[in-house]
Amino acid sequence: MIGIDWYLALSAVLFIIGVIGVLIRRNAIVILMCVELMLNSVNISLIAFASHHGDITGQVLVFFVLAVAAAEAVIGLAIILAIFRNNLSIDITKVNLLRW
Amino acid sequence: MIADFGNILLFLIHGALFVALSLFVAKLIRPHRPNAEKLMTYECGEVPIGSARVQFNNRFYIIGLMFLIFEVEILLLFPWVMVFQDIGWFAFWAMFVFVFLIFIGFAYELGKGHLQWDIPRPVVPKYVEGVGVVDDYPAKEPASSEPALDEPALQTGVNR
Amino acid sequence: MATYAFVLLAVLAVASALAMVLNKNTVNSALFLVLNLMSVAGLYLLLHAQFLAIIQILVYAGAIMVLFLFVIMLLNVDEEESLFDKFRAIYLVAFLLGVVVFGQIVYSLGGVTDLLPEISADMAYVGTVEAVGEVLYTTYLMPFEMTAILLTAAVVGALMIAQYKVKTSDQEE
Repeated sequence: MIGIDWYLALSAVLFIIGVIGVLIRRNAIVILMCVELMLNSVNISLIAFASHHGDITGQVLVFFVLAVAAAEAVIGLAIILAIFRNNLSIDITKVNLLRW
Repeated sequence: MIADFGNILLFLIHGALFVALSLFVAKLIRPHRPNAEKLMTYECGEVPIGSARVQFNNRFYIIGLMFLIFEVEILLLFPWVMVFQDIGWFAFWAMFVFVFLIFIGFAYELGKGHLQWDIPRPVVPKYVEGVGVVDDYPAKEPASSEPALDEPALQTGVNR
Repeated sequence: MATYAFVLLAVLAVASALAMVLNKNTVNSALFLVLNLMSVAGLYLLLHAQFLAIIQILVYAGAIMVLFLFVIMLLNVDEEESLFDKFRAIYLVAFLLGVVVFGQIVYSLGGVTDLLPEISADMAYVGTVEAVGEVLYTTYLMPFEMTAILLTAAVVGALMIAQYKVKTSDQEE
């Protein structure tokens, strides 16, 4: 039986990979996907704790995280579409206008 | 109960092995004589032009958005079905409020006309006396409540 | 058996996450994220969360990633970007300092191991649909309705942002 610490370590590793992706990538879509990866790693640790304590609350929280992830993807991709329409690029280093 | 998913895992492994094995055997025994015609991308007999990465229409995003939102709604409906007998009318009213709130967004989208999909009407060539063959364009543009299009390519007919 | 499955799925998840971050092609990294989500769903199964494993595949791999791929096809950007073109010596210093901080955290937390109680044996049914539903619609009713408001706000906001009538900058000029 795998202990909970391995799941928590895996969750931390995935979260750090997501953070690194947000920091080093310049494509806005990939950055959004890295945020999804980070949400997922948090889900792993929530479910690991729920399974460890025999408590369903962690799994219910994952539902709400899923809903938040869906809303975040919808809004984030809409923002990316709007940015692309305005300066024909989704390179986030080129998004430097405060207003137009 | 959990061990039943082991069967699914075995099924997946078996399927992957089956595909890989049959592809490998086929690679061993089939003849390999490529030429330029064979390697060309098949596009219904036409000569393929341009890149395969064409730009999709913007409104597919709206469709995908609605699909995502209503899929999340349905995933929150699944446990409701299982426990409806235990909780009773309280669960019914809870879900009623939930679905009502979701449908506010749907009504907004429907009312704003984001789901309307103006189909390009065909341009029929017509013979006019003294002029010759002219393209009979559709008479009127759609109503003004309709959102303006980014891509004029969708509005154009075949001959334009 | 569970140990082998965990090692396989964990290696798959980490490898596909790294491939997602390091891949230059956006479509490829989206597909690697799908692989990562699938292996995470397998990990949910190992943790006795059957329903959430299925939901993970349905919603993440089925709907969210489809939306991502739609937008990738919609924007059609094929610019190659190099990840390490702006490497500077100060990054190396920052990396070493980060390693030092990480070592300190590990050192200070290393002594505390038995903070968590042992895993309970009677939770084999914890992840079933009924168990989730019994608390979702009673104890967590308020966050549940808030989810509906959040989703409605997301739909309205996304439609406001992504609608077609927005003036582009070259139209104004």
